[in-house]
Amino acid sequence: MKNLVKEFTKGIIKENPTFVLALGLCPTLAVSVSVANGIGMGLAATFVLLGSSVIISLVRNFIPGKIRIPCFIVIIATFVTITELCLKAYSPVLNRALGIYVPLIVVNCIVLGRAEAFACKNNLLSSVFDGLGMGVGFTLALIMISALREFLGSGQILGYTLIKGFEPVFVFGMPSGALLVIGLLLGLFNILKNRKS
Amino acid sequence: MNIQQFLTIFISSVFIYNVILSRFLGLCPFVAISKDTKQAFAMSAAVTFVITASSAVTWLIYRFFLLPFNLAYLRTISFVLIIAALVQLIEMVIRKTSPVLYRAFGIYLTLITTNCAVLGAAVLNIDMFFVDGKAVTGSFYYTVFQGFCMGLGYTLAMLIMSGIRERLQLCNVPKAFKGFPLVFIIAAILSLSFMGFNGFKF
Amino acid sequence: MKDEFIVSGSPHIHKKESISRIMWAVVISLIPAGLAGVIIFGLDALWVTLVAVISAVLTELTLQVWTKKKITIFDGSAVITGILLAFNLPSGVPLWLPVIGAIFSIAIGKQLFGGIGQNIFNPALVGRVFLMASWPKYMTTFVKPFSYDALTSATPLAALKEGKILEHISYFDLFLGKHGGCIGEVCILALLIGAAFLLLRGYITWHIPAAYIITTAVFIYIFGGLKLFSGDWLFHILSGGLILGAFFMATDYVATPLTARGQLIFGVGCGLLTAVIRIWGGYPEGVSYAILMMNGATPFIDRYTKNRIYGSK
Repeated sequence: MKNLVKEFTKGIIKENPTFVLALGLCPTLAVSVSVANGIGMGLAATFVLLGSSVIISLVRNFIPGKIRIPCFIVIIATFVTITELCLKAYSPVLNRALGIYVPLIVVNCIVLGRAEAFACKNNLLSSVFDGLGMGVGFTLALIMISALREFLGSGQILGYTLIKGFEPVFVFGMPSGALLVIGLLLGLFNILKNRKS
Repeated sequence: MNIQQFLTIFISSVFIYNVILSRFLGLCPFVAISKDTKQAFAMSAAVTFVITASSAVTWLIYRFFLLPFNLAYLRTISFVLIIAALVQLIEMVIRKTSPVLYRAFGIYLTLITTNCAVLGAAVLNIDMFFVDGKAVTGSFYYTVFQGFCMGLGYTLAMLIMSGIRERLQLCNVPKAFKGFPLVFIIAAILSLSFMGFNGFKF
Repeated sequence: MKDEFIVSGSPHIHKKESISRIMWAVVISLIPAGLAGVIIFGLDALWVTLVAVISAVLTELTLQVWTKKKITIFDGSAVITGILLAFNLPSGVPLWLPVIGAIFSIAIGKQLFGGIGQNIFNPALVGRVFLMASWPKYMTTFVKPFSYDALTSATPLAALKEGKILEHISYFDLFLGKHGGCIGEVCILALLIGAAFLLLRGYITWHIPAAYIITTAVFIYIFGGLKLFSGDWLFHILSGGLILGAFFMATDYVATPLTARGQLIFGVGCGLLTAVIRIWGGYPEGVSYAILMMNGATPFIDRYTKNRIYGSK
């Protein structure tokens, strides 16, 4: 049981997909304009991650090694299509906000990376916890970055104005601001890491 | 279908909505491979080639197969598989016909299958040049050209970044920012400077 | 340690010049434009400039103390960044704006790359485009000249972009700077005095400014008017930040190519980009963006315009 908990928590801090492994940065930067979008993308990716980890872990002994990547992609693509259709039906606003980055979850390095590095080599229960941990870690990273960007870029979080009379710094809502935030955050984490050691 | 539309596609795909600096597609190889100009150029050439080819093929499949049979929702799965197959095919052809070329950028081809830029371009083309399930006039040509221009924009960003990173090897970058953090900040500055082309109109 | 060693092959030539000497000479050359700015726009221009300079110097001092590096604030480079940043701002901006801009310029545009001599981009322009993207409203609100009580007016280029002509402005008015604009960019006369000083002393060479200005003029002449070959190139040369940019920012030693040939290419590139943005872009002025883009291309230009190595064929 302890092992399973460790599989879960490693995805949140020690092997956080965004800040430590630097995976899945494409959607992170694009989607983090608002916290609502960040949460939406995080949940969608977690769903795909979980679903694909489960299936891949279950059939891992039946997939021939040489064609495993295409097989993974088909499995992942299936879950992404399910996600796409659900979003289109139940949350068209979020779907429009996330745009092309929903289908792009298929090639999200986190999903494919976990399938290749973990799910195809471990049993079902471990894979579930690993997938869940990575998904949660990704979502938390998204929330952190989008909270910064939304607050600085528009003075609000989730649509609520926090400080009255705050002059929004528009650049943070733009691609350039996203790159800035991620560059500065990565540098900050490095400073903290260097200080610890 | 007019020349102005092509010019607009060119300016927006290369500068304003640059694949890497604005749409954030293909970031993983961007930070990993942009250290060396030769590698960066090889990767960009491969990407441009694959994006252009896959833009054409995915358009054809979408127009003549998915749409008529009401299978538009299978777009994601089919596009991914098409791109994977296409890359395999291109790799085989290059390996057979030109070992020199294969040595130059063959290894990058395998990486491109999971490159967001290729799938992203294919999906974008469909979103932009199909309205209400029907192709706009000249859709195919716009699609292929846009794919090519996205490749050009990718190449531009990669080459600028690799030139800068080679220059930076001689500099005293603070330890915490060496590598990824500084790459993103440089990308941020480049993105800011490309903003000069906003609102472009011929 | 690494800050100190410059390795290059012999022969070495020794001159009286050092980094500080050159930097402070540039500061002196910018004084006429600064005075003109204060005369035209009032004391606000002075406060903005002082605030920018002080913030730049303090930022550099703080960062260098914090990272236990050598303190170089007296070499004048931070002062120049502060001045150039201020000269690119409208005089009516709230005073926190140049503070943030200066901090950004020095911290991110300069120190993050390793400090003096190692920045890829012109730090003042990095700060300026950051400010422009962050607070566009403040950055495009210009004060009417000589109207010390803050009436707003448009710049000549902005008026041109909207299709109007700024009320009867003559070339002479443009030359003297009697129109709305950023603090240091309007008085061409003052800028040219400073530029002449730098050119005569050999602190800058003619290649980049000449290539830049001539390319812009030619392109505007050909494509800038309603018909081909009817563009008002003199108007464009005398408007906007072209003179300020061409002589004082595009000539930044560090962020521009090393060889004469490379510098000409750099100047032409800046000119083309500036003209294209001015004619067809959404913004009325493109100097900052053009120079930054060419800064990014500089490592490339250097690669392909390397000098013949002394002693080789």
